[in-house]
Amino acid sequence: MSKTINRRKFFRNTAISTAGIIIGGNLGELSAKGYAVLDPYDLMKEVMKYRKIDTHEHVGLNGNNIEAQIDFADRLGIEKLAISKPVTQGSAKDATPEAFRKSNDIILEAMKLYPDRYIGMVYVNPLYGKESLEEIKRCMDLGMVGLKVYHQVKINSPLFYPIIEKFIDLKMIIHMHAHCGLGVGGERTKYGNIQPNASIPEDFVEAARMYPEAMFQYAHTGGGGDWEYACKTMKDYPNIFVDTSGSNNSGNMINYVLRYLGEDRMFFGTDNSYYQGVGTILASHLNEVQKKKIFFENYNNILRKSGNHVD
Amino acid sequence: MIDINANIGHWPFRQTDCNTCETLIKRMDKHGIDVSVVSNMNGIFYKDTQASNEELHKEINADQRFRDRFIPFAIINPIYAGWKRDLDICTSKMGIKGIRMYPLYHDYELTHPSCIELVKIARDKGLVVALTLRMVDSRSRSWMDINKEWDLEDVIPIIKEVPDAKYLVLNIANGIHVNDEDTELFKNSDMVFDTSGRNIYNLSELINKFGKEMFAFGTHSPILDYLTGLLRIESLRESEADEETKELLRSGNAKRILGM
Repeated sequence: MSKTINRRKFFRNTAISTAGIIIGGNLGELSAKGYAVLDPYDLMKEVMKYRKIDTHEHVGLNGNNIEAQIDFADRLGIEKLAISKPVTQGSAKDATPEAFRKSNDIILEAMKLYPDRYIGMVYVNPLYGKESLEEIKRCMDLGMVGLKVYHQVKINSPLFYPIIEKFIDLKMIIHMHAHCGLGVGGERTKYGNIQPNASIPEDFVEAARMYPEAMFQYAHTGGGGDWEYACKTMKDYPNIFVDTSGSNNSGNMINYVLRYLGEDRMFFGTDNSYYQGVGTILASHLNEVQKKKIFFENYNNILRKSGNHVD
Repeated sequence: MIDINANIGHWPFRQTDCNTCETLIKRMDKHGIDVSVVSNMNGIFYKDTQASNEELHKEINADQRFRDRFIPFAIINPIYAGWKRDLDICTSKMGIKGIRMYPLYHDYELTHPSCIELVKIARDKGLVVALTLRMVDSRSRSWMDINKEWDLEDVIPIIKEVPDAKYLVLNIANGIHVNDEDTELFKNSDMVFDTSGRNIYNLSELINKFGKEMFAFGTHSPILDYLTGLLRIESLRESEADEETKELLRSGNAKRILGM
């Protein structure tokens, strides 16, 4: 309960001095009109009202530990977390088959530890095509339900084609790290050069156009990229979804995604920014039906296609 | 409930939502916020910031509800002509309770003699000095925006210069994990951090480190969403923050620093 104080008491005790500093403040009138007597707003009740699937989460990155992660999830009513562990350091070829198998083993261990909470996403590097397909089979057999890929290879690279086709067959989503530093710092490619193989919105569009039956998840609109540019670029491609994760809980972001992509193409995610992930959706202009979709139903419908949905 | 970090006005690089007194007060009503400390973002971009303070004063005084619910902070640029006169007018005629400074946007150092003088005058007038670590994430900024952000430690020089002023440190996006010596400096100052910034990752731990008197609810609206700063408080468990502590975070610490 966020409002445990008595508001009339609050203003009796405080507003006199508050208004006293404002020229023209009239406290007698304030009290008589009752401006300050607001309806209680119970934020945690609102938080817990919605079932949630965190569609962008990691285990074993940036020092985050599993127990703390589950604790955050419990605190904010996050029922399921789609987890992965991409290789984020080194050059593209450094994400070797040995390295991505090791990453996936960590995810598999986490899934065993919290089978009711974690949804596993397999990570591979398409530079190693044969080994990637073998790893996908291994991890699918062990219960993973989607793909998470990083910036070793762009999503529209021919190296990705066999993997995309595999996930069309599996009826599972392809969650790709995304970058959209375009238009920043006066140089359209400034941030693209920092991660030269990172997929930008135009890369998603090309892949989506080539494979309209595939499902792509554009990662973290709140992750520091230009989400306005991304949404406008991807607007007309219904097989591109976005997750709203990231540390940037921009005030108008969710409303903007809704305007350009609609209520069916947006997923709740945190990418380790738990408060921002939940807060930014609750603070948006989404209605209750839309919030239910974004927090839970849209992604569950994706999982349903492969029979891996949450009851 | 008091929001110590709200803004009205125009952000020139992106459309924002609820950036007028009228729309902000509706949002406050919806979410149970009684009072907001508010500035006019136009002052970040005007060369003569006093025009933005006049706009804010005019807007607040257009409606009794605004006068009752908003605490105005003026934006002062201490390297621009007439700032002392502007500050006098803000305090004597506009009822401001504090000042906001934007050295990164207005292109001066916190240790500039005029800046130090401004903070000393603010201290002597009983005004609160608000320092914002960043307005937006520089990664996603416009090509016309600045590319610098502060870490928390970057505000230390002015605190050392004027240790007995009252400070708000807002939108702590970077560098909350300062060393022990700097932690003590912050703890020994009359200062409040708002809860809007992304580095307020684990408020429970931060309360243990800095103390429950150091934090207060802030939104950094409309740049950031309206609820994340509140969620960091309301989601604290009883074992992490009892009701007394939560009341300090919701309004008690704000009232203390604002002299309410």
